[in-house]
Amino acid sequence: MPYEMIDHTADMGIKVSAHGMRALFEEAARALIEVLGAHIESNAEEVSVITEGIDKEDLLVRWLQEILYEIEVQDFRIAFVRIDTLDDTMVAGKLYGEHAPTPLAGNIKAVTYHNITIKRVDKAFETTIIFDA
Amino acid sequence: MEDVKVTRIDPYRLKIEKNGPMRTWGLIYANHEIERSLEKDQAIQQVANVACLPGIVGPSMAMPDIHWGYGFPIGGVAAFSMQDGVVSPGGVGYDINCGIRCIRTSLTVEEFMPKQDLLLSELFNRVPSGIGSRSKAIKIGMQDLKQVLLHGAAWVVKQGYAPSEDLEAHEDYGKIAGASPDEVSKKAMERGLPELGTLGSGNHFLEFDIVEGIAHAEIAQQFGLFKDQLVIQVHTGSRGLGHQICDDYVHSMIATAAKQGIVLPDRQLACAYLASNEAKAYLAAMAAAANFAYANREMITSLIRETFERIFKQSWEYLGMRLLYDCCHNIAKIERIMWEGKEIEVCVHRKGATRALPPGDPRLPQRFRQTGQPILVPGDMGRLSYILAGAPNAEETFFSACHGAGRLLSRNEAKRQAKGRSILDELRSKGIHAMAASRNTLAEEMPEAYKNVSLVVDTMSGVGVTHVVAKLRPIGMIKG
Repeated sequence: MPYEMIDHTADMGIKVSAHGMRALFEEAARALIEVLGAHIESNAEEVSVITEGIDKEDLLVRWLQEILYEIEVQDFRIAFVRIDTLDDTMVAGKLYGEHAPTPLAGNIKAVTYHNITIKRVDKAFETTIIFDA
Repeated sequence: MEDVKVTRIDPYRLKIEKNGPMRTWGLIYANHEIERSLEKDQAIQQVANVACLPGIVGPSMAMPDIHWGYGFPIGGVAAFSMQDGVVSPGGVGYDINCGIRCIRTSLTVEEFMPKQDLLLSELFNRVPSGIGSRSKAIKIGMQDLKQVLLHGAAWVVKQGYAPSEDLEAHEDYGKIAGASPDEVSKKAMERGLPELGTLGSGNHFLEFDIVEGIAHAEIAQQFGLFKDQLVIQVHTGSRGLGHQICDDYVHSMIATAAKQGIVLPDRQLACAYLASNEAKAYLAAMAAAANFAYANREMITSLIRETFERIFKQSWEYLGMRLLYDCCHNIAKIERIMWEGKEIEVCVHRKGATRALPPGDPRLPQRFRQTGQPILVPGDMGRLSYILAGAPNAEETFFSACHGAGRLLSRNEAKRQAKGRSILDELRSKGIHAMAASRNTLAEEMPEAYKNVSLVVDTMSGVGVTHVVAKLRPIGMIKG
């Protein structure tokens, strides 16, 4: 399983692992979309997401914050996500889906930096992200 | 940090010994039962982490509704020196000025009950709730929003939606000074634009309660409370506008903290020295979000009054729908405290904690000068809520008290335990009628997910920070 839910008393969290940094960012996005119930089959529209950060952890949080914004504020529902560029201070990618104000299943208000680290575990990258719910 | 050592001081207080990078000790208000609930998560570690921040004055504290948050624990209180201390946006939280208000009425339970279901369904339609909920009752433009950010609840009064007497029943009179829309990002403004008068999601609610018992007759009378009276509680905050401001400033302060040489035990504690321009900008943006939250709750109050007028065919004044008080519980405020024999100015962070001013405090309006500040402590959906008043020993907590019951179960665990059950039916069997924008919310917020609020309140009273004035029993609610 690419991600698992972890228990957090007040809020909620996910543990994500992937065999590469790009894949980790894409898996984390997929997890967020699934937790929110923001998946859609249609990929008729695309939205570009570009964000900057001071390192990979900062970038990961910012990347997810941008996706949360597109879902919650712009009513974008997402079929799949693709990273175009990822370096130490910038991530650029595209969200494929459709603007559709369908009800969301999960409550996530924000993506936090709480204890955020990206670790190398064997040949994979692993991270834990806490959401403000 | 390793080896966080906790010792019991007395039946109500735990001490975390100063250790390693901690600049001060930790003080947790907890009886034995609350202490047991702390064993399974990272809340104690978070109190110790806050103690590592520069310029902290006195202990890093946690109120008895303490539980694991992000960065600060929920229930965390910490004061920082204006000279060499910091402000931390994560120490205020995403929902800036999340808060609660209580509107009293002159209705008794018998008068109210026949209309309850109709009122619930009308208010469910009129006060938008759930994730990303958008305002139906009021549409404002960008210029109006700027005025809301500057003037808070007073903007709602000026537009004729609420009476001016409401302002005195708000902490800060419904407006934090120093707000600047210029320090709020365009994205945050866009998020706030459709959200005035909305409840939002998660633990936010609009609730009907009955005054089940009066514990302090004299203060209850001053607060306008009587047994079997209907009161209304509203719990919400600054919505997406506040979340975006927190996102923006935590991100920028990670870099600022590094530049200012501040070592962070957790990135969510990103902060800046209070004397810096970065800190001043955050405090101005935070005040703007806090003012939005005051206006949001005031706007919802206007919708509640209008709905009652329509259903009861009487004016809200006739129905006695006066605002008892509005408390904020996620904030950082510049306040004066006595410390080591001197009065000093500090920035008090309250992350899931309520200001608690004692009787005689000059910051209180005349109507509460004799009683102490009303403090509203909501419980869970199935059990009691409390109305407290600030008591003389509030000085010990830098004038802070608990803000709720405090979570016991994670949201996932609550959903697991709710599987196969109808929380709505269970509440109904106890005489509580609930409506919710999401079935998940009901499961996550079920009564067993929270500590028993009575234990929390007893601990606060035990240390002389608050008095219990009245107990409220829920009878109907709208959940986000």
